[in-house]
Amino acid sequence: MSRVTLTVNGETVTADVPPRMHLADFLREERLLTGTHLGCEHGVCGACTLLLDGAPARSCIAFTVACDGADVRTIEGLEDDPVVGRLRAAFTKAHALQCGYCTPGMLVTARDIVQRLPGADEARIRLELAGNLCRCTGYAGIVRAIRCVLSQGLPIAPDKPVPLPTLPSMADEGPSGQLPAAQPPDITQALRLAVPAASVWRALRDPYLVAECIPGARLTEAAGDRLRGEVRSSLGPIETLFRGEARVSFDDADRQAEIVGEGHDSRTGTRLSARAAVRLKELDVENTEAMVTIDYTLRGPLTQFARGAVVREFSTEIATSFVANLQARLSGGIVPAQRSVRVGTLMLRALWRRLRALLRLG
Amino acid sequence: MKAAPFEHICPTSLAEAVALAGEAGARVFAGGQSLGPMLNLRLAQPRLLVQVNRLPELAGVAADADAVTIGACVTHSAIADGAIPDIGHGLLSRVAETIAYRPVRNRGTIGGSLCHADPAADWVTVLMALDASVRLQGPDGARSLRMKDFIQGAFRTALRPGEILRAIRVPRLPASARWGYEKACRKPGDFAHAMAAVFLSPGRCRAVIGALGGKPVILEDDAMSPIGATRALEDIGELDQARLRMQLVVLDRALAKARA
Repeated sequence: MSRVTLTVNGETVTADVPPRMHLADFLREERLLTGTHLGCEHGVCGACTLLLDGAPARSCIAFTVACDGADVRTIEGLEDDPVVGRLRAAFTKAHALQCGYCTPGMLVTARDIVQRLPGADEARIRLELAGNLCRCTGYAGIVRAIRCVLSQGLPIAPDKPVPLPTLPSMADEGPSGQLPAAQPPDITQALRLAVPAASVWRALRDPYLVAECIPGARLTEAAGDRLRGEVRSSLGPIETLFRGEARVSFDDADRQAEIVGEGHDSRTGTRLSARAAVRLKELDVENTEAMVTIDYTLRGPLTQFARGAVVREFSTEIATSFVANLQARLSGGIVPAQRSVRVGTLMLRALWRRLRALLRLG
Repeated sequence: MKAAPFEHICPTSLAEAVALAGEAGARVFAGGQSLGPMLNLRLAQPRLLVQVNRLPELAGVAADADAVTIGACVTHSAIADGAIPDIGHGLLSRVAETIAYRPVRNRGTIGGSLCHADPAADWVTVLMALDASVRLQGPDGARSLRMKDFIQGAFRTALRPGEILRAIRVPRLPASARWGYEKACRKPGDFAHAMAAVFLSPGRCRAVIGALGGKPVILEDDAMSPIGATRALEDIGELDQARLRMQLVVLDRALAKARA
């Protein structure tokens, strides 16, 4: 628990709160100010918008501890606000609400438009409303109501912007460091190994060896063509641990392998279905090309951030580091298997890297 | 969803923040407008949040004849409202105004956005096009990096453990410079699906394409043609035909704005 002191609608409030409690929950559950509504809880819908130090903010992604000392004004605290008074009347007249769920957030945003943009036209009003979702009105009534209040002129002086302080000097902090920071490799899906194709194929058929070459991967079970395992990965602040199983198949004649699997990250509630295929091509006696193809579907919260291109980039990157590890392993003279399991791995690792990609994706 | 439990510390000095940020499981937290959703969705589950947006060392702005230096915790709204000196064409203010929504801009910070390094973030692409540099403070002292070296991929930067972004130095635009910025979003404020920033000056042309899977693509001088752009995007091999087309259209619009 952390102790915070806030001013809520003019009243000083001190409370012990768990750091993970966001401001909207604090107001609703601890202060019983249920006018602040929660919709999406990740900053998209705008229902929880309130005034934080005088400016509109999302209370669902503002943690209470991070607001220590702040001045909070909820819809309940705007009852006597002259702008909100006019807006309330205009919302009623213009049918600017139906179910009312979005209305507290709408009024806070509308007040901001009136105060900050007194000359706003309809297009600008609609632009400013982009961050507040309403599923009833089609916004027509809301826009009308705001235009009506704008046409009445400002009842109170607009807030003056607070000037920024001068940035403290940074002269005293030692020498400027050298850059380095390795550039991520340029990646394609055709990966090259300086190892004979027969050796690569033999290695790929050992799932444990393959798993070792995949960063973050661990194979927990390999029986026949079925594999179980997990992949741990991180992308920026996002950390995932996907557990799953997969089925592999090998075509020894053409040196092609395929793995199809499903994984689940119980922490983030994300599901991944993936299929990976690899085909080896002998370039010459000493060199092999591995063509890797991956398809996948992601379901769950991670998809909020895991845009397709990001997933692709990470999966190819994992493929690259897998191949580098495999190359190192094979040219080190240590060849396959302490455990002689005859299952395909490349696919597995492709799956892994997929999973991984997924993970990092976040 | 509710965030998983975490600890929270609001250090009172940069030195203390650097020490805390180097701890295992720590995550630096400024406005929380990107990290907050990830915490609520439990995609991110750090052990400790180190809140830096009240540190005086990260607040404010300084300017000289060549550049404007913006504290990492200056909000997008402050920039949009003209609280920092103009580098030319009102550029930073106009970019800031298109970031997410006003309530998000009121809390979100320019430094937080860069450190989060979402490929679809406006500042990642724009500040790379302006050849801005970042000033980092870590346990072993300070260093500066150019934006193109700082951003390493999707959600990845060159920040080392314990390092904190302190300020961003943005060169002023030469009087003769021209500028265009464009992005494609499903709706205003949404994540961009395509993005381009174009900087033209006599002897130096640069276009940066963002909202990709990894770090933005920089096209300079002769490479700054539709053919050059197509080749560069095909080289990174991550775009389907529709997205490639979208990026080219957005680049074309950014170029048209710069030449207008």
